[in-house]
Amino acid sequence: MSAPALLRYRFPARAEALATMRHALQDALRARSVSETEITRLVLAVDEASSNIIRHAYRDCTPGEIELTVTRARGSLRFRLRDFAPPVDSRCVRPRNLDECRPGGLGINLIDDIMDLWRLRALRRRCGNVLVMFKRLGARSGRGKRDR
Amino acid sequence: MERGIAESREGDWLVLSVSGEVDLSWSQTLRAAVLKALQSATALAVRLDQVAYIDSSGIAALVEGFQQARSRNQPFILLAPSPNVRAVLELARLDRVFQIREQLD
Repeated sequence: MSAPALLRYRFPARAEALATMRHALQDALRARSVSETEITRLVLAVDEASSNIIRHAYRDCTPGEIELTVTRARGSLRFRLRDFAPPVDSRCVRPRNLDECRPGGLGINLIDDIMDLWRLRALRRRCGNVLVMFKRLGARSGRGKRDR
Repeated sequence: MERGIAESREGDWLVLSVSGEVDLSWSQTLRAAVLKALQSATALAVRLDQVAYIDSSGIAALVEGFQQARSRNQPFILLAPSPNVRAVLELARLDRVFQIREQLD
């Protein structure tokens, strides 16, 4: 049986909807006594992932919705973002070289740094993609990485 | 906290005081304000102590301003970044790129 959700939140894939999502996520994590430092970082990672969905996954189609589900199991938080956009080639989703000083493209680096592990897969039979990110509570820094 | 950008002058510096949450829905407004300010400023300071949240698109707006200022030899600094802004700058390793000050001299 899967763990009960700390938060299930469905929101339009529009930039204007991100603030409300962040606040809902903050409230859910505060209710579970996650530290403020950790909340700040986790909200940033989820926001970056959502922004990428809005900017890239829904780029060539009518923006749909995003479902965020947060669960907790065995000392880790699991963040699942499901979209209904055309399939994304996960091989194209990678961090950039931070030694280059240029605007843009930092989102995956931030997610990499904050989360312990993440994986992205396209849903072949149904429309959409699923990004799942894991964070062990109390662990200082992610630098974990993508699950191949 | 209300979103906004206020402009003021302190000596040679044009100061943009940013407040609120800077995310994908608003980062283009910040970008436009920074690039416009650089057109008329001798030196530009972006005050960030009232920024409750910033994402990578907001950071990108600041990087673009920094690059434009550097190409014109204009001083460009970040002023008093809030803890949340500083944390994102550090995560992106940009705290070593930007000139960051707690106050204007």
